[in-house]
Amino acid sequence: MSAALIERGLAFIGALVVGVTTTVQLKNDWNSTGIDNAVTKLLLGLMAFGCVLVLLAVFGVLGG
Amino acid sequence: MAVSSGAIHHDVEDHIHPEPEGFIRKYIFSIDHKVIAFQYFITGMVFFAIAGLLAELIRAQLLKPEGAIMSNAAYNGVYSMHGTAMVWMVIIPLVTGALGNFIMPLQIGARDVAFPWLNMLSFWIFPVAGAILFASFLVGAPDAGWTEYPPISLQGPPGTTLWCVAIFLIGISSTLTGLNFMVTVAKMRAPGMTWTRMPLFTWATFATALINMVATVALSGALLALFLERVFGVPFYDPARGGSPILWQHMFWFYSHPAVYIMILPAFGVISEVLPVFARKPIFGYRLIAFSSMAIAILGFAVWAHHMFTSGMAPWLQLPFMIMTMLIGIPTGVKIFSWLATVWGGRLHFSTAMLYAMGFLVTFTFGGITGVFLAAVPADLHEHGTYFVVAHFHYVVGGGAVMGFLAAVFFWFPKATGRLLDERMGKLGFWLFFIGLNGTFFPMHFLGLFGMPRRYATYVEFAKIFPMAQFWNIFESIMSLGMVAATGLLIFNVIYSLKWGKPSGINPWGARTLEWTISSPPPYYNFKKIPTVLGLPYNFDQPLPYRNLDNEQDAIPVPMTLAPPRTAVGV
Amino acid sequence: MAATTVAQPGHDSADDVRARYENVDHAYHEQRENRLLGFLLFLVSDVILFSMFIFAYCYLRNSVPNWPPIVEGGRQLPRFDVNFAAFNSVVLFGSGATMHFAMESWKHQNRQGFFRWLIATIVLGIGFLGGQAYEYGSLAISWAGSTMGATFFTLTGMHGFHVFIGVIFLCVLGLQARSGVYTESKYFGLTAGTLYWHFVDVIWVALFFLFYLW
Repeated sequence: MSAALIERGLAFIGALVVGVTTTVQLKNDWNSTGIDNAVTKLLLGLMAFGCVLVLLAVFGVLGG
Repeated sequence: MAVSSGAIHHDVEDHIHPEPEGFIRKYIFSIDHKVIAFQYFITGMVFFAIAGLLAELIRAQLLKPEGAIMSNAAYNGVYSMHGTAMVWMVIIPLVTGALGNFIMPLQIGARDVAFPWLNMLSFWIFPVAGAILFASFLVGAPDAGWTEYPPISLQGPPGTTLWCVAIFLIGISSTLTGLNFMVTVAKMRAPGMTWTRMPLFTWATFATALINMVATVALSGALLALFLERVFGVPFYDPARGGSPILWQHMFWFYSHPAVYIMILPAFGVISEVLPVFARKPIFGYRLIAFSSMAIAILGFAVWAHHMFTSGMAPWLQLPFMIMTMLIGIPTGVKIFSWLATVWGGRLHFSTAMLYAMGFLVTFTFGGITGVFLAAVPADLHEHGTYFVVAHFHYVVGGGAVMGFLAAVFFWFPKATGRLLDERMGKLGFWLFFIGLNGTFFPMHFLGLFGMPRRYATYVEFAKIFPMAQFWNIFESIMSLGMVAATGLLIFNVIYSLKWGKPSGINPWGARTLEWTISSPPPYYNFKKIPTVLGLPYNFDQPLPYRNLDNEQDAIPVPMTLAPPRTAVGV
Repeated sequence: MAATTVAQPGHDSADDVRARYENVDHAYHEQRENRLLGFLLFLVSDVILFSMFIFAYCYLRNSVPNWPPIVEGGRQLPRFDVNFAAFNSVVLFGSGATMHFAMESWKHQNRQGFFRWLIATIVLGIGFLGGQAYEYGSLAISWAGSTMGATFFTLTGMHGFHVFIGVIFLCVLGLQARSGVYTESKYFGLTAGTLYWHFVDVIWVALFFLFYLW
């Protein structure tokens, strides 16, 4: 078990957990109003996108 | 607090905090926007005097083609510091920090800006940054112009590093002020003051604040990188190590072009306030002027590379930037024509403020036109780096921003202090300044076209192909003394009038924006009762469009046919 | 549940919320609006600061034929290690999720939950910084040795500095919350902290893509 594999594995699990959680939270808060909630929704969405990027990296689709 | 159904009703003495006590809290570490404005004014004028002295050193040097008084190296430091100080330590703080701070909250019927403590912090950074900048003379002043292009700026004397620090600091001050003003205008207008009932100076301040907040950070990035490269050797700009000098130019000009709109937009706002009052006519094209301010602010971000036509950047960039630069002349032209239409057919009264405003129309238009010349790439390839450019920007900054600022001083000094500035001194000062400005900078147009390069300590080679070179340089140097005299006269006028000026009363000019409905000087809380606004303030034949004023009986509307009382303007 | 001033998803219109605000405290509401806008504008200016350096990175990268660049001696610098960065990124994104839960707890008057999630956020944030320090130590390139190092260390360093300030910010908020500065309806500081923390997260999304995946 190389360090790289452990790192990948943990990243994979973490990205799944965090990504799913973030998306669920986003769905729950979708109808809130006010600019602070709007910005929060945008940032949560981008964080979920970040988790997608991590998944793509873990599977070697992106990145060297 | 009862639930209200719509309009927010503020009671008497609603939200008024107790008066600050003690000299320190009242005048040194004050959070009152009016005091802070005055602090900006004094500090800015001190730096104006220093930067002006540097300019006179330039003019002295150029009396002889071989250089009259200093070495090339010294000259490089002098003009670099003149430009740096004028842009960042004089014009921008004066028009945003002094004018914006004093006038805007009063015009929108607010008691202060949104974040008064931040405002105080913004001010106190200013003298510190200025001190650091001028301290660079002690260790070797920056010598690559106010634009400090690498690789020269990478090799420059230690003062260049201090320059980075000083401008970074003043950038923080600017950004915070921009943020403060944006929130103030967006959120703290008096009830009934919709966006399209805002005075035009407030529109100008808002547009300026937008640029301030967005663009200045870009400069901070560029400066941080330059600092890191000079101090730690981190390669961003050194071409020998993989960096790019053109990168600096992009980063620098992305801020510095919008910066010129920071300098001029408040002056545009001043003109929009002064002309209707002294022509006794409503402003022509209120919405045109208001929206063109926003258009200039936004378009101003899309033109920066017109400073880089000769830099060796990708040639395909030249055409789009040329087109965008020409486009930005349109909203500016809209303003000029609106102002002309405002004074056309009016009953003009030539107070000093009006003289500066009318003078502005001449000199700024002139500078704007030479800007369009420079926007054209083929012309710019010839004119770049010559005195033609120097002429252009001194006409728009000196003949535009400075004259607008001076008009504002004469217009709002009575409101700030309760006393009028002396009109005879004011008018004499105006003519000295106007003639001095034109005399100094007009010849630079043809000197530049014939090839006199800027930023050179000598012009021996140029004098060989242009026999009158020395004559015109001497002429310019003598004429520049007119501006020196005007500045001295203004400072004397201010000090004299503070003590012995004629009392102004609430509204010496018969103007109609909210600041003219409260006492001169205003109480620390500005408005005891926040008034309700019912319409635009520019229609002189209507009653004042406000309800719930503090001084109903004093702020009487002035009918359109009346000229302002003679006693208010002296001669 | 006592009437709150937070919009219940799917239930409230903006007018309902506004009416409840008027009942609660008019002056506070006005001030909060100002501070919120001010804070958001500050975040906008911070985005621009990062954007300038991202522009510099893209420009410098585009101006050489090889990336990683070839330095003196003809050797090409190595690419960054994606695996560890992916793991560290998840740590940071996780801290964003925990911060969100902390806010949700506060809004539902669950003080214990709030503190648990806040501490989790701080721990993950410190963990991320630790991971960055570890990665910096293991890298073969230096800050001043190449434009690759210049852009990488400057950008991730600025980001790390923002995370560090954020950790301190969150600790201060936690102490303030413990001493009763915030109530169920007045908690602007917590909102600001959460927005800041999410912002720092999202900047990292961009940096992760730019340096490790591109």
